[in-house]
Amino acid sequence: MNIAVLIKMVPDTESRLEIIDGKVKEDGFKYMVNPYDEFAVEQAVQFKEAVGGKVTLVSLFSDNTSIDTDLRKMMAIGADETIVLRQQEYSGNKPSSNARILSETVKELNADLIMCGVQGIDYYQAATGPMIAHFLGVPHVSGVTNLELSGDKLIASRQIEGGLQIVETPTPVLITCQKDMTKVRFPALKDIMMSKRKPFDNRDVGSEPGNDVQTTECSLPPARGGGVILEGEGPEEKVDRLIEKLKMEAKVL
Amino acid sequence: MSTVILVGETDGNGIKDVSQQVAGVAAGMGEVVGLVIGKNVSESAMKLAAGKVIIADDERLEYYDPVKYASIVSQVVQKNDATKVLMGATTMGKDLGPRVAAELGWGYLGDCLEASSEGFVRPDFAGKVLARSKPEGPLVASIRNNAYPIGESWSGSVENFSGDIPDSTLNTTSIEKIGAGTIELTEANIVVSGGRGLESPENYEALIRPLAATMGAAAGASRAIVDAGWVPHSHQVGQTGKTVTPDLYLAIGISGAIQHLGGMSGSKFIAAINKDPEAPIFKVADYGIVGDLFETVPVLKTKLEKL
Ligand SMILES: Cc1cc2nc3c(=O)[nH]c(=O)nc-3n(C[C@H](O)[C@H](O)[C@H](O)COP(=O)(O)OP(=O)(O)OC[C@H]3O[C@@H](n4cnc5c(N)ncnc54)[C@H](O)[C@@H]3O)c2cc1C
Ligand SMILES: Nc1ncnc2c1ncn2[C@@H]1O[C@H](COP(=O)(O)O)[C@@H](O)[C@H]1O
Repeated sequence: MNIAVLIKMVPDTESRLEIIDGKVKEDGFKYMVNPYDEFAVEQAVQFKEAVGGKVTLVSLFSDNTSIDTDLRKMMAIGADETIVLRQQEYSGNKPSSNARILSETVKELNADLIMCGVQGIDYYQAATGPMIAHFLGVPHVSGVTNLELSGDKLIASRQIEGGLQIVETPTPVLITCQKDMTKVRFPALKDIMMSKRKPFDNRDVGSEPGNDVQTTECSLPPARGGGVILEGEGPEEKVDRLIEKLKMEAKVL
Repeated sequence: MSTVILVGETDGNGIKDVSQQVAGVAAGMGEVVGLVIGKNVSESAMKLAAGKVIIADDERLEYYDPVKYASIVSQVVQKNDATKVLMGATTMGKDLGPRVAAELGWGYLGDCLEASSEGFVRPDFAGKVLARSKPEGPLVASIRNNAYPIGESWSGSVENFSGDIPDSTLNTTSIEKIGAGTIELTEANIVVSGGRGLESPENYEALIRPLAATMGAAAGASRAIVDAGWVPHSHQVGQTGKTVTPDLYLAIGISGAIQHLGGMSGSKFIAAINKDPEAPIFKVADYGIVGDLFETVPVLKTKLEKL
C-alpha cells in the first residue's frame, strides 16, 4: 500500500502572538509538525508494517529549513521519504491554493491512501484535506478516530455529534485523522540515525492563484474581565455566592 | 439581490438550533434558499427559517456522505444562481463546506464566529487571534454554534430536489452512539469540565458527570486527563480538542494552561474551582472559588438540586 501523509508545519503553541498594524507578527515563530499529522504518520507506518508498501511525507512550506529536523523525526517513526515543496510566499491560511499545489504532487505518487490531520492548529480551517480529495477525485472521511484495514477495504470511525459514524471504503481514499487514532511511538536511536539517510527532496514551487479569502485585519480578542474571586468563610458560603451569581448575572440557572 | 443557500441539518428534535441560527445570518445577506438533505427529513425540513426550502429526501441520503452531499449542494447552487453557501460548523458542516468550496471553485471560511454582510470573523490560533475579512467573491462558510440567536421557525414554499444523486463508494455501515442521552459539548449551554485536580477517573465519574447531569450540562475535560485515559478524546476542550462557547463554562481542578484557554475563553461566563489561588484559570474566571474541589463540588451539587 502506498501512502501519502500530508504534513503541515504550524507555529509552536507557545509562540508569542503579537499584532502589528492588523497583522500577526510571524518572524519570531518556531514551527512544529501539526499534532494531528503525527497520528497520520504513525497510522500510515503501522499499515506499511502490516501489508508492505511505502510512506511518503509531503509538506508545503516556506524556504525556512528549521523544520527539516522535525520532518526527519517523522521519518524516524518509519516514513520512507519526504518531499518538501518550497514556496517563497507560503501562507498556511490559503487552503484552496495550497490544496491545489499539494494535490499535483500527491497525484504523481499514485497513493492508495492519503492521510491528513483533521485540522491545522494554526488557522483551524480543517479544509485542506476535503479540498485535496475533491481535486484528486477521491472520496474522503474526516475526523477519523479509528482506522482499520479489512481485506482491500478500510473501516473508518468518524467522530460525529454524540457518537461515531462507521464508514467502509475502498481505496483510493483520503482520511483526516482525529486525535484518538493511535499512539505515536518514540523512535529508537537506530531509527533516528537511519532517518538521516532517507531521501529528502526539496522542490521549488510557484504560487497558485486560488479562491482563498484574504484576511483584512487581525486583532486580539477583547481581554476578558475575569480575575474575580468569590470570598466566603467555607465552601458553603462560597457556593452560595456562586449560585447567586449564576442565577442573577449569568442567568443560566 | 443575491441568493444564499442555507444548508440545514435535522436531528431527532427537528431542525438543529445551529441551522436556525445560521438562517438568521443568511437572511441578512440575501434571499435565502434552504436545503435539507437526508432520509425522512421532509417534515423537519419545512421548519427551516427560509423563504423557500429544497428537500433532498432519499433512501440513499440517510447518512452523511461528502461525495453525494457536495454534489447536491453544488447542483442547487447552480440552479439558483447563488453566490453564497452557509451552514453550521457541525461535524457535517466542517466536512462538507470545504469540499463544496473546492467543487465550486469558491472561497471558504470555516468555523466563523461572526458573519454578516459587513464581513466575517474567524478565530485563528485557537481563538487567540481574531481574523476579519470582507470576501468579495462567492463564498462557502460554516458558522459556529451559539454565535447567533435562533431564528423563528417558519415555513415558506417547499420544493423537492430533482437533480442527480451521484454514486459513492463510501458506505456507512452503522452509527455508534456514545453516551446516549448525554449532551454534546459543542451544542451545550453549560459545560462542566474536570482536570487533573480530580486525581482519578473514578472521581471524574463521581463528581463531574453527576454535577453536569444536575445542571443539564455537557461534561468536558482537560487534555491531561484525556492523555491519562480517564475519558475519551471527544471530551477534550482546548487547542487540540473542541472549542466551546457555552453561556457558562465551569472548570474544576483545571489549571488553565494556554492551550486549554484556547478552547473555552469565548464562553459567555467562566467559573472555576481550584485550590491554587495562583492558577491561571482565575485570570479569565468571572467567578472563582479558591478551595478544595472535593469539599466544594458536593456542596454545589446538593444546593443546585434543591433549587
Ligand atoms: C501542542 C499542545 C496542545 C495541547 N492541547 C491541549 C488541549 O486541547 N486542551 C487542554 O486542556 N490542554 C492541552 N494541552 C496541555 C496543557 O498544556 C496542560 O498540560 C493541560 O491543560 C493541563 O491539564 P490540567 O489543568 O487538568 O492539569 P494541571 O495543569 O496539572 O492542573 C491541575 C489543577 O488542579 C488543581 N487542583 C489539584 N487538586 C485540587 C483539589 N483538590 N481541589 C481543587 N483544585 C485542585 C491544581 O491546583 C491545578 O491547577 C496541550 C499542550 C500542548 C503542548
Ligand atoms: N501546507 C501544507 N502542507 C502539507 N499538508 C498540509 C498543508 N496544509 C494543510 N495540510 C494538511 O491538511 C490538514 C488540515 O489543515 P488545514 O486545512 O490547514 O486545517 C493538515 O493536518 C495537513 O495534513
